[in-house]
Amino acid sequence: MSANFDAFFSEIESKLGGDAVNRSAETITRYAENTMPGGDRRPAGVVYPSSTADVQTIVRAANAHKVPLYPVSTGNNIGLGSRSASTAGQVIVDLGRNMNRILEIDDRLAYCVVEPGVTYQAMTDELTRRGGQLMLDVTSGPPQGGPLGNALDKGAGYTPYFDHFGFSCGMEVVLGNGEVLRTGDGSIDSEHLVNWHTSKYSFGPILDGLFTQSNFGIVTRMGFWLMPRPPAVQSFHFTFPDDDDLEEIIELCRPLKMSNFVPTLFRVANDLYLTASEGESKEYGSGKSLSDAGRRALREHFGLGAWNVSGAFYGPNEAAMAPMIQRVRDHFMKSGKARYIDHEQAKAIPTLQVAINAFSGTPSHGELGLLKWRPGGGNIWFTPGTPMDGKTANTFQHLCRKIYEEYGFDYTVMNVCGARFARGLHVITFNREDVDESKRADACYRAMAKAFADRGVFVGRAPLDYHDMHFGQTMPSFQQTCQSIKQALDPNGIIAPGRYGMK
Amino acid sequence: MRTDFTPAQLADPAIAEADRILQTCVHYGFCTNACPTYVLTRDENDSPRGRIDLIRAMLEPGGPPEPKTVHHLDRCLSCLSCMTTCAVKVDYAHLIDRARTHIERHFRRPRADRALRALLAAVLPRPRLFAAAMRAGRLAQPLAPLLPKRLRAMLTMIPAQATSDILEPQVFPAQGERRKRVALLAGCAQQVLNDNINAATIRLLQRHGCDVVIAPGAGCCGSLPLHMGREDEAKKFAQANVAAWSGEPFDAIIVNASGCGTTVKDYGHLLGSDGAGRIGALTRDVSELVHTLGLARATPRAYRVAYHDPCSMQHGQKVTEEPRALLRAAGFEVVDVPEKHFCCGSAGTYNLLQPDMAEALGQRKAAHIESTGPDIVATGNIGCMTQLSRYLGKPIVHTAELLDWATGGPLPPALRDLPPPSVTPPPTDQPAADAGFW
Repeated sequence: MSANFDAFFSEIESKLGGDAVNRSAETITRYAENTMPGGDRRPAGVVYPSSTADVQTIVRAANAHKVPLYPVSTGNNIGLGSRSASTAGQVIVDLGRNMNRILEIDDRLAYCVVEPGVTYQAMTDELTRRGGQLMLDVTSGPPQGGPLGNALDKGAGYTPYFDHFGFSCGMEVVLGNGEVLRTGDGSIDSEHLVNWHTSKYSFGPILDGLFTQSNFGIVTRMGFWLMPRPPAVQSFHFTFPDDDDLEEIIELCRPLKMSNFVPTLFRVANDLYLTASEGESKEYGSGKSLSDAGRRALREHFGLGAWNVSGAFYGPNEAAMAPMIQRVRDHFMKSGKARYIDHEQAKAIPTLQVAINAFSGTPSHGELGLLKWRPGGGNIWFTPGTPMDGKTANTFQHLCRKIYEEYGFDYTVMNVCGARFARGLHVITFNREDVDESKRADACYRAMAKAFADRGVFVGRAPLDYHDMHFGQTMPSFQQTCQSIKQALDPNGIIAPGRYGMK
Repeated sequence: MRTDFTPAQLADPAIAEADRILQTCVHYGFCTNACPTYVLTRDENDSPRGRIDLIRAMLEPGGPPEPKTVHHLDRCLSCLSCMTTCAVKVDYAHLIDRARTHIERHFRRPRADRALRALLAAVLPRPRLFAAAMRAGRLAQPLAPLLPKRLRAMLTMIPAQATSDILEPQVFPAQGERRKRVALLAGCAQQVLNDNINAATIRLLQRHGCDVVIAPGAGCCGSLPLHMGREDEAKKFAQANVAAWSGEPFDAIIVNASGCGTTVKDYGHLLGSDGAGRIGALTRDVSELVHTLGLARATPRAYRVAYHDPCSMQHGQKVTEEPRALLRAAGFEVVDVPEKHFCCGSAGTYNLLQPDMAEALGQRKAAHIESTGPDIVATGNIGCMTQLSRYLGKPIVHTAELLDWATGGPLPPALRDLPPPSVTPPPTDQPAADAGFW
């Protein structure tokens, strides 16, 4: 039986009202847009649920009429697919329009419960309004992005609560058959859910992970743990002059994280990752990567290095943190190559202020400027990782830098470093209006993905164009398991078929 | 975004500028969720990138635009929230002004709309005429329920106790050692609606060592006609101001209505002359100058003040820290308003021309302000003050009025009935009781 879109939309209109459906040409065009090399994907229409019950209605109607759905929360997944569906012809379920309520904030137990449309900015505003004693870990991406969508895509921030899925607790999910599932301690069959958002691991299997980077259900509610806001945040920054200094930097960062002496993750950003947000490429059009002279000029102009390390301490006041800053400073300066930039100096450097904001749980726009490095609006993120081993990290740098250069792009990366692992956020900005450049960007991504997979390294979040390819890189039993789960929870395959490779 | 203008079209500098701006938009869409009208309607044509597309489709063929295009462009607040969030920094401010001018020149609006716009453009920039119109309007207020919605909105917006002191050209000398000699834009509508803002600004600047000059020949900044698409009228006002302020070497041109400040700072673009550019570069919001000078000794008054960022201040001029820092330095407890990046719906003449959308935004903003439990609301733009006063049962004052009061000036009239402070400022070196263990 093929999809009957008219019957689906008409059922939604009759059950949820005319405002719940939008099939205008402008809307379809806009929801089709993304930044991928593979082109836009026009949806069949957009529906706007206002509640979990509405989502159930939509999912049941989709099952009845065999209509594929594609849920989005705030739709800010720029560089990974925006709010574009896996394939053309799916119906976007825009959860963010109406389901944008902060359902609960517990000030003493420090957690919040949100609907999909709650943004980082909205949550920060609300926490500030309540006295600013708590903060939500944020990304350095758009303030209008939101914690629920980010956590489900395994996004991360930079504070001790950086792991957004890890610091989530308790979901409400509408499964592919329209039934509602509560995860964690919410799974008890009771109307009194005491520990839904305070405990993740009581009775039974941990199901929450099934709903990350998948298409097994639509998450309509999620709890997040909040961090007590420190009275003072004191950042520290070091620049290093040479590309190969990365090896030493990783070795310097590891013990500081392993012992948790430094509470934040380390942002280890290369020159372009920080400077590209402040301007546009002066060498664009050469068909080649930015020259060494061009990179040097940027570093000198902004007072930055080939690599730039940022971290922060939290404490009651500046004085209490001074000895810790001094220890970190001594630790990095023993390399003989580091240059120190203190908190006050960094506040005057916009691209380092981005780091301070991120460490402080303050959403900001600064890093988005990266996306204008080249004209034409194309960008894709390549997110492999490296163990916190200096030699390995440096080998990966050489590998990636070479592939970027081979395809004429500018190596732009930030390694976000924990104790044992660093995620490498590589951005490929390209002119999407230039067919040749789009093809090169696509080939560049695929070449890096293959090179890393050949070395046993997977990506984290994946751009929409590459879900199939990356799924194909998994072992057969992983694929079979995922497909079995999909079949069990969404037998008609109506939720985001194709997302993260699962049909 | 690809465009398709002919070489002949591109010979027109205005079209060439629009073309450059249009090409920078790559439809990332960060702007959509930051746009108040899009968030209210979820209509793509009520979003910045939707409007940018409409502008392209209007300018490329030239000539009269579609009524639908005018409808959606008229609904733009020009709040510039989209510019703050845009990753590629599309110069939307100049693009929408260009579009409004095109509409004004090529589109024949319905008769009532034309008449209303002509009335606003003629009256608001001229304080004496506006004062007379307001007196007449007050007499007509009992008839408001019988009038069409937009006229009703105009009448209901007339403050019950407006005090109008229209300043003549003169010099207010600095107190103590003279540190600066500045020209103050006395403004048009503001001094009719609330003359204490200028009075407080002048006292504040005098107290901080500034000669304050009301220059002969200066008047409306041109912002109101500019945002109605009447570019030629706006230029005339701007030229008059540039001439008035070019007579002597001022240290700064001070503006205390941020909507005007954004326009005056951009005179170089509007008039395209070096002289205008110099005036633009000299222009400061009053809070910027006082912050630079350092606030004089203040008498702390422990009121809880919700600071409302006017869009023209936060998005247009990027002045957000100075007013807060000054109010804190003056001893007030300053709280941010949730969703502060959103417009209150004032937006120049917007609340007169688009009353429904303006009301929805005004009520939304008022609810957010109310949620912070303030004693006082402070802001830096008369438009916001007028708009918020319709929906909020709290005293609303200009930042300069509070700073003037704290540093020795009289109690702002809007605070006459203010009860004693409700808060005691917490000690600054200790975390609040229920926070984490530090």
